[in-house]
Amino acid sequence: MWITIDDREIEVHEGRMLLQALDDAGLLGNDVDIPHFCWHPKLAIDGSCRLCQVEVEGESKLQIACDTKVVDGMVVRTDTDRVRNARAGVMELLLVNHPLDCPICDQAGECKLQDFAFDHGSPVSRSREPRRALAKNVAIGPEVVFDQERCILCRRCVRFCDEVTGTSELGIFGRGDASVVDTFPGRPLDNAYSMNVADLCPVGALTTRDFRFKLRVWDLDDVDGICTGCARGCNLHLGVAKGAVQRAVPRRNDAVNDTWICDEGRLSYHAIGAPDRLKEPQLRGTDGRLAPTDLATAVEVAAARIRRLVDAKGAGVFAGIASAHATNEDLFTFWKFLDALGAETRGVPVIRGQADGILIEAEKAANASGARELGFDVTGAIADRVRSGGVDAAIVFGHDILDAQFLGGTDALATLDTLIVLDLHQSELHHVADVVIPTLHAAEKDGTLTNSAGRVQRVRRAHEPAWPAWSEGSVISLLGAALGLAGFDGSWDVAAVSAELARSQPRFAGIDLASVGRGGRNIANAEDVTAPVDGEA
Amino acid sequence: MRNAPFVTNYLSEHLADDAYAKLAGYQRAGGYAAARRAVCELSPDEVIEQIEGSGLKGRGGAGFSAGRKWAFMPRDESPALLVCNADESEPGSFKDRLLLERAPHMILEGILIAAWATRAQKTFVYVRGEYATAAVAVERAVAEASKDGLLGDDIMGSGFHHEVVVVRGAGAYICGEETGLLESLEGKKGQPRKKPPYPSEYGAFGLPTTVNNVETFAHVPHIIANGVPWFRSFGTEDSPGTTLFGVSGQVLRPGLFELPLGTRLDEIVFEYAGGVPDGRKVKGVIPGGVSMPILPAGQLDVRMADEFLRERHTRLGTGGVIVMDDTTCMVRVASVISYFFRDESCGQCTQCREGTGWINKLVDRIERGAGEERDLEILLDIAGKLEGQTICAFSDAAAWPIQGLMRHFRSDFEAHLGAEKCPFPASFEL
Repeated sequence: MWITIDDREIEVHEGRMLLQALDDAGLLGNDVDIPHFCWHPKLAIDGSCRLCQVEVEGESKLQIACDTKVVDGMVVRTDTDRVRNARAGVMELLLVNHPLDCPICDQAGECKLQDFAFDHGSPVSRSREPRRALAKNVAIGPEVVFDQERCILCRRCVRFCDEVTGTSELGIFGRGDASVVDTFPGRPLDNAYSMNVADLCPVGALTTRDFRFKLRVWDLDDVDGICTGCARGCNLHLGVAKGAVQRAVPRRNDAVNDTWICDEGRLSYHAIGAPDRLKEPQLRGTDGRLAPTDLATAVEVAAARIRRLVDAKGAGVFAGIASAHATNEDLFTFWKFLDALGAETRGVPVIRGQADGILIEAEKAANASGARELGFDVTGAIADRVRSGGVDAAIVFGHDILDAQFLGGTDALATLDTLIVLDLHQSELHHVADVVIPTLHAAEKDGTLTNSAGRVQRVRRAHEPAWPAWSEGSVISLLGAALGLAGFDGSWDVAAVSAELARSQPRFAGIDLASVGRGGRNIANAEDVTAPVDGEA
Repeated sequence: MRNAPFVTNYLSEHLADDAYAKLAGYQRAGGYAAARRAVCELSPDEVIEQIEGSGLKGRGGAGFSAGRKWAFMPRDESPALLVCNADESEPGSFKDRLLLERAPHMILEGILIAAWATRAQKTFVYVRGEYATAAVAVERAVAEASKDGLLGDDIMGSGFHHEVVVVRGAGAYICGEETGLLESLEGKKGQPRKKPPYPSEYGAFGLPTTVNNVETFAHVPHIIANGVPWFRSFGTEDSPGTTLFGVSGQVLRPGLFELPLGTRLDEIVFEYAGGVPDGRKVKGVIPGGVSMPILPAGQLDVRMADEFLRERHTRLGTGGVIVMDDTTCMVRVASVISYFFRDESCGQCTQCREGTGWINKLVDRIERGAGEERDLEILLDIAGKLEGQTICAFSDAAAWPIQGLMRHFRSDFEAHLGAEKCPFPASFEL
């Protein structure tokens, strides 16, 4: 079915509303400009802001694009004087009671009211009447702060809590121009997704405690990220400034997280600069204490200890305990390393928690599926192997192995002859490690992660690490070279590794760093690249 | 009650009789014969045909053909509902209240016939919260009718089943808008729904629903009993039948007058309502409740039916005639009306929520003498922006009276500009 919008013919699906159809086609906000507040692609149609009015041939009144069904041959105009006047009228009315405090508002720079006022409104206000004086700085929940005066009553936040989380903490109280969004007595906005209302809020009425007054948004560089909190792999916009991630907000990916992210995932970027971050390689000295060293020495010592042990007892005593937080490329390199070394004992501990049926999944790591696809055992059997003895040396990525679901502590590792730890943060592992090498956070490196649905998604280096740190793959590569293992020369180029992975693993065929795209590609169906990404949200 | 002495006042002739509110009294006057004829002798489609043929227009204000509305309903046995809109809240209107209190069985009989025609299993009578007496009267009538086999199972031996439930609103004007009513009926905040879908497709609790005004139901038994030509002998070609004009304001004999549609407004004001007190002159008359634009004294020679009122840029509305004499400050009138609409706007749509507030603040400022010339243009401009751009017709109802007052009494507004205070000292207090 075809419609014509501003002389441009586009193909649409039957039964869709005009805005939906334009969103389906990826045109909304890009090629076709229909301003709107209350409509959101992932929420029920509200039809109340009245900004998206367009002219439909054959209709005497202007129609709201959010609630007008497409009809074959429909002719729509978004650029006539009538439409412009109607938009200007709505903008003027919305600004009658708005405080216009943009200079001190966090939303400035990414505010729809501000943008639309510039694009569709009048530069001058005709109102001389007093504005509504309402509550400011209301703590409506543990993570969200509310400014009632800035609110334009689009009801997106209310609908989110009704339709997505089903928690219905928010409502519209009062009538007419006395209407306000508020919570019910004794029931704060406190759910696992509460901060999404700040993203949904087109103005600066709902802001997160996390980012409030932190920085102006135009000072942020936008880098695509992936949340590593669970196997969902929610897509993120990382806001980067001053060499650090300053905030994370959801990036639309209809095949993964729609336009949402859980609060825990949103705040997980704080792990990047956490005080317990490992800041340098360390070696256990003859005095039994860990002392700082450089990477070359750490690798050299680690290689020497592994070589001595393997030469004496064979590779059977060596265990490779990888992490489901590492990238496909890191894991692929490690797998090759273990093969070259001849070490059969390998596995990836994946911590399991509760799934919530919305986004949060039971597997608490972003690349559990990648580890599984590459052949690692992810059942936790590796912990039993270590506990049952016969392992004298191990390389461990991260410290998930210490979780109560696996070793429950360091006892089983304390008896090892050699323990080499590659990790982001300090943990009890350091009490028993011989060599410690700091690794990179997913926001500090390039690579791919495979989510629970088999979608391979790209992570990018958003900024340089604040301290010396290396990807697991590059450290293993150095180690392989130091051990003289076949296929390891000490260099590690993630793009080349990714390409090799795609060539050698049939499931990853055609999916590498270069081809994965912004929306990711599914290993079950590499052609599945159609999900709208980063469009209207 | 002051009935017009010389017309056939079929709606109101027994309203003064206390017994008429009771089943026995109503039946003594011939009540329920029409319902019996409908459910026992006529098919639903035949009833719809008669009502459509009668030209009966909805009496709630919009004036849509009742028969056509019924014809929108699905013609199968699927569950369907009927709603009697008794949320009479338009300032200046009090006709439904009298009918509910004094002739509840006439409403029930109309409901029964409409239910048969629209194949509805259940009717909700949604009564304005403030109408406590009316709600009790209808509840009593429902109990009486149910006991007597006029409601419930196998009505009058026809096999038709119908029940009526009385629901009381909580006093919001917007719950008189049919989809706002449906939301409220479902226990939600009274906010009109976007249309489509219309109630005949997706009404109360998601079921096909017909919503009619109290007075609309009241006409139905008379049409079925006396026939289409009889009904069309009253009123005009386009607006047949009588209606209950409620006259209020500065007249000597305020009250309810049942007159044929098309009766001249000056006749209603001067002959039936007795005109204004001696020494005063009529300044303006609102013909159909406050949401309809006012007419100045010089334009009262208009026949009270939409086809004529439209030519004067106003409408019949609910037939609530409000008369104002020459002491009246029309800015003060605008203030009162705009305050009402500001207070009653549900607040969903931007234009209505923000526009009604802005208009009210602006009018009040003019009334205080703090207005400027440009404010008058702004006022008209905002009113224009409220028209026809929102989910329901409330914002039109908020805009029209302001446009009417500015059209005919701009000089009153201008007299306030730069004035120290309102130049109409004898006008009513705000």
